[in-house]
Amino acid sequence: MTVAPPARPRPDDSGRSVPPGGWLGWISTTDHKRVGLLTAGTSLVLLLLMGVLALLMRAQLARPEETFLGPHLYDQVFTVHGSGMIYLVMTPFALGLGVYLVPLQTGAPGIALPRLTLLGYWLYAFGALTLLAGFATPTGAHAAGWFSYPPLADAEFSPGTGSDLWIVGVCLAVTGAILQGWAVLWTILRRRTRGMTMLRLPVFCWAMIATCLMVIGAFPALLAALTLLAAGRADASLFASNAWNIGYQHLFWFYGHPVVYVMFFPYLAAVAEVLAVFCGRRFFGYRGTVLFLLVFAALSMSVWGHHMFATGQAANDYYSLTSIALLVPAGVEYFGMLGTVLGARPRPRTPMLFALAFIPQFLIGGLTGIMVGTPVIDYHVTDSYFVVAHLHYVLFAGSAFGLFAAVYFWFPKVTGVLLDEGMGRLHFWLLVAGTNLTFLPMFALGYLGMPRRVSTYAAFDGFGTLNLLAGIGAAFLAAGMAVFVVNVLRTLHARRLGRARPAGDDPWDGHTLEWAAPSPPPRLNFPADRPLPPVTSFAPLLDLKHREGGRA
Amino acid sequence: MRQRHIFGTVFTVEAAIAGAVFLAVLGLLAWTLLRHRGGHPPARAAERAERPRLEAYYVGALAAFAVFLVAWTAWQNHREHPAAGPRPLRVDVTGFQWCWTFRYPGSPAHRSVTGTCKGRDMPTLVVPAGRTVQLRLTSRDVVHSLWVPGLRYKTDAFPHHVNTLTLTLDRAGRWRGRCAEFCGRRHHTMDFWIKAVPPRAYDRWAHGGTATA
Ligand code: HEM
Ligand SMILES: [Cu+2]
Ligand SMILES: [Cu+2]
Repeated sequence: MTVAPPARPRPDDSGRSVPPGGWLGWISTTDHKRVGLLTAGTSLVLLLLMGVLALLMRAQLARPEETFLGPHLYDQVFTVHGSGMIYLVMTPFALGLGVYLVPLQTGAPGIALPRLTLLGYWLYAFGALTLLAGFATPTGAHAAGWFSYPPLADAEFSPGTGSDLWIVGVCLAVTGAILQGWAVLWTILRRRTRGMTMLRLPVFCWAMIATCLMVIGAFPALLAALTLLAAGRADASLFASNAWNIGYQHLFWFYGHPVVYVMFFPYLAAVAEVLAVFCGRRFFGYRGTVLFLLVFAALSMSVWGHHMFATGQAANDYYSLTSIALLVPAGVEYFGMLGTVLGARPRPRTPMLFALAFIPQFLIGGLTGIMVGTPVIDYHVTDSYFVVAHLHYVLFAGSAFGLFAAVYFWFPKVTGVLLDEGMGRLHFWLLVAGTNLTFLPMFALGYLGMPRRVSTYAAFDGFGTLNLLAGIGAAFLAAGMAVFVVNVLRTLHARRLGRARPAGDDPWDGHTLEWAAPSPPPRLNFPADRPLPPVTSFAPLLDLKHREGGRA
Repeated sequence: MRQRHIFGTVFTVEAAIAGAVFLAVLGLLAWTLLRHRGGHPPARAAERAERPRLEAYYVGALAAFAVFLVAWTAWQNHREHPAAGPRPLRVDVTGFQWCWTFRYPGSPAHRSVTGTCKGRDMPTLVVPAGRTVQLRLTSRDVVHSLWVPGLRYKTDAFPHHVNTLTLTLDRAGRWRGRCAEFCGRRHHTMDFWIKAVPPRAYDRWAHGGTATA
């Protein structure tokens, strides 16, 4: 198999016309693979940018009484880092992965609602530009944190265009996510190939169902909250009443908690696929996993108040109950992952390393989540570095490791060539060392009393050593990410020169239908001369191999 | 101090459980990975993808554990917030960008303490040791949060709203207090002291004297 030349025009889905090639072809495409790649690629670029902002923060905090950023710039940096990572990186990448993979995994020739999917990408891209444009305004970017509570975020306390741009940017990006969520959900429900019953959907598709339901159900609450904020910026008297201040918090977290699972399920599912493939066996406890993903999604809609224990204006017993109840579905997901690995002999390739590290690292985030969901503990640790550590174990040590597992795993499907294994491993080990060195000390910092969102601290606070450790960890992370970028660029360059070794259609012995398509898949995914294998379970290619090997 | 003790118990128990679960999972993973290292591949990976009965027991155990945790911690939480009892000392606390004001409506000298939270100018919240104190918390501008890390307690201060917080400090001493809710440019300097003094010293102070602990 040779590597396919880029951008060969083919008849479009409807067979009407030949789409344009070149960059115009990319930005006007209705091919779900291109939209998926645009979305995921844009979010990877933004991941690097937000990572640079993280390094600035860690550099400032590495020593006490350091002020090279200055308080106002520091506030902009943590606001854009936090909002960027959530609204512009982890959520869009998850959806981009769904846009790319779901039609392939369900054996569909394209995505449902292709134009809406593309519109979703454009809203997201413009949203990101709008948000970042804040840095170019005279008063700087928005600086009230990613949850932007009023009245701090209103026009009186946060004057300046940067805040307006932030509101518009986030609204655009979130609207884009909602559109893509609809398209992915609709594809799974309506465009499955013959024989693909709901209970033969790959785990990843089920995770996307749960994800998209949350996107559709909860993301509009953020639009409502931001509309409220915009109204309050126009008319400051709106926030002269506690009802709207606390009301904003309720609305915001009604979005803000489910989004955590939107940034978790697709990555969890990518890890599940990788674990099963590299252990050479079916994912364990499929039905339980599917059922409890849905339970998880449903419960996630009723836990928002645990972000508000310390407000004194939320029903703490109730939210503590629903939050701690989450350990049941989370436990079931862990059961599935462990059951898949136990007793197997995993092949230790790069995607598998990331997937394996995900298990214990995310667990630290999950277990400390139970602690944070307990009011007695939360009264002390909320808004401290304990929470910063917790959320980075969830989002970085967890989801981002799932993200990299997915990138290394599906890269050969997307490009036809493999990333370099040695550099992949170096990336992995630098990230493991860096992650734990950066975020573990933060639990201690929070316990000892360091508030989050402080641009500096006094020498006599005694936070210096732990912050220095975290700063050193951040340097490891930066080195690891540099290795990753070099790996990707070098591989793509070699591919363009035709010097890369083709990976074949199915380099890992995959289980799901995308591995039956050519790499990279053609316009309509599955060429007519190569019929799809019969779908007999949620791992059709594994069934096929067993049948051929005379084993099943 | 009650808050600190209850926090200590709950935190220790939950951290111990979390540590045990973490080690168990890590141990299982390490064991599988090391067991099959270099040896023969397992004759054939287990084909069974479901174990419904085992899963049902497991879900039951998880649910029972969740119920225990919720019930036990809720009980601790209610212990932490006792009714104020007779005659608590009332202090009106107001957060503002970027410092605090403490007013003592019951003090004969109408004491009120405030500062700028710049450099050494940090206000001190003086309370009698051993007596129940009720803080009535509010804000003049944005949301702030009163946090005394050493006492393990925190409550938000909202504009147009009063939150109450009942504390008893068993012994004389001085603790650092901070603002925990991001409140703008000088959030990081919004610190204060909370100082518990013997009741006699407090009375002298409430009448206009100085407080020495
Ligand atoms: C996928 C990766 C990451 C995600 C999703 C993420 C997400 C977040 C979020 C949501 C916040 C909260 C911001 C706020 O409260 O307004 C935050 C804060 C922060 N992050 Fe990250 N982050 C990531 C990676 C990193 C890395 C690699 C570092 C360190 C090198 C880092 C350092 C920080 C710091 C220092 C803060 C400030 C905490 C505070 O003051 O509240 N982050 N991050
Ligand atoms: Cu404050
Ligand atoms: Cu503050």
